[in-house]
Amino acid sequence: MSDSEKKIDLPFITAGEDIDVNEIMEYIEKRIEEKKNSGVLKQKEIDEIEDMELQPLPDFLEIPNVYEQHLFNDEIVKNYDPPTIELESDGGSGPKGLMKKIFRIIRKPLMPFIRSMVRPINNELKAQINMDRKYIHQFAAGIEYIKLLHNTSNNLIVELSKLKIEEELLKTKIKVLEDKMEFLENRERAIEKKLYQ
Amino acid sequence: MAIHQFLTSYSYGDAIGNEALEIRNYLREKGYKSEIFVLFYHPRYSDQVINYLEYDKYSSEENIVIYHFSIGSKITKKFLRIPDKKVIIYHNITPHHFFLDYHRILAKDCYKGRVELKSLSDKVDLALGDSEYNESELKEAGFKKTGVLPLVMNFEKFDAPAIPVFNDMFSDGKTNILYVGRIIPNKKVENVIRIFHLYNKYFNKNSRLFIVGENRGFERYYSALLNMVDKLKVKNIHFTGHIPEDELISYFKLADIYLHMSEHEGFCAPVPEGFFLNIPVIAYNEGAVKETMNKGGILLNKKEFLKTAALIDKIVLDKGLNEKILKTQKESLKKYFKNLTGKILLDHLNMFGI
Repeated sequence: MSDSEKKIDLPFITAGEDIDVNEIMEYIEKRIEEKKNSGVLKQKEIDEIEDMELQPLPDFLEIPNVYEQHLFNDEIVKNYDPPTIELESDGGSGPKGLMKKIFRIIRKPLMPFIRSMVRPINNELKAQINMDRKYIHQFAAGIEYIKLLHNTSNNLIVELSKLKIEEELLKTKIKVLEDKMEFLENRERAIEKKLYQ
Repeated sequence: MAIHQFLTSYSYGDAIGNEALEIRNYLREKGYKSEIFVLFYHPRYSDQVINYLEYDKYSSEENIVIYHFSIGSKITKKFLRIPDKKVIIYHNITPHHFFLDYHRILAKDCYKGRVELKSLSDKVDLALGDSEYNESELKEAGFKKTGVLPLVMNFEKFDAPAIPVFNDMFSDGKTNILYVGRIIPNKKVENVIRIFHLYNKYFNKNSRLFIVGENRGFERYYSALLNMVDKLKVKNIHFTGHIPEDELISYFKLADIYLHMSEHEGFCAPVPEGFFLNIPVIAYNEGAVKETMNKGGILLNKKEFLKTAALIDKIVLDKGLNEKILKTQKESLKKYFKNLTGKILLDHLNMFGI
């Protein structure tokens, strides 16, 4: 049986033999009942106070870098499975293959004309591919740059969060100092009063 | 023969450090050579203690070393490596979960401490707990030869007069409720604030709460407490921070009720101090508190804040009950006298043929 389970069977208070615990409990119940009946004390308010939880500031050592694992996740790279692309076959057996063969035979005499129509587009595409090859490294560097920007933004957020926490802690410290100052002023006044007496 | 002591930290006003000092003085009075070796210490005690790394110069198989164990630290390794006869005084280790939200490093040290305690179980000649509760934990950890050494309480310090100006500042007819202890999560200071709020709001508007204790290192917990005070809109709560001894005495002497709601205590020194200064003590029954109260004061078995507030009201208004409580406290105090503790320690050490 745990300690908390043991306590369930115990009375609210325990005191020395000379002390009448029952009388104390009667008084407590009576006083609470009086307050409730007079409307001063509301059970809802009591429950709220009992349930109120402390809300500590987060520890800034615990603020995680949320982007890093997504941006630089080696696992994703290792486990990357490229999609398989089905290439068009040359024909094959069956009615579909036969149709393609017929279509190719009809197209054959027209090919010089088709080529002359398509050539400028082909040239353009080739030029584009050459250009892409030339600039691919710059493009890759651009991706890295975006990653860097993301990481910088994230770090800025982390640093700002830390600063916010630090600001809250400094506020607490200022409050402590204010309290101390107030106390010392009161003390000073009391001493002065005594001196002048 | 020399009887030396090892201590992890001796901070200002620290009960364990003060106990080590009392033991050292008692042992010196009895003619033994005795020094205190520490890892960390407050500059104020620099002439009273020696760095633990220098212990090799003092070490001897003839010596007895008493290690005040309350947290995991580097001293444990040193303690295990010396050839001296080994005794530990276990002051209990706060369960690490209390610190997880507020102090990760301390949580780690407390966790490590419990692991170290188990590792010490078959390597020390004698293990003493400063309460039966602590002794039971030692037995649970596997220590064979155990005993109880009540914490040395120095009540002489309370013979000093209160600071007169405090009376002028706070003798305004208000009922003063007092809590003394570090502002750390296991002490559940938030529950003291909740009870005071209910008492102040529904039973006695003319009341004040003194929260006396060190908050450094636990600023986030302290800040959460201040937020709670703001949310409850409760006034008349006075956080003093760490204060010198004469001010502590003054706060004790101003108090009408001492309230302690801690959820983990290996001993709870402010309870007998409250008894000594004739302040009715209400404390929550957890850890060694019941044993420390020794049938004195009022022990709360349940965390019912409104009822506790009404209980304070009853004790403040009923002078007869107040007197009866003080009588029980006086009776229970008898077991805490310094000479008795020193004698018990020497009785335990008799097994080494001293």
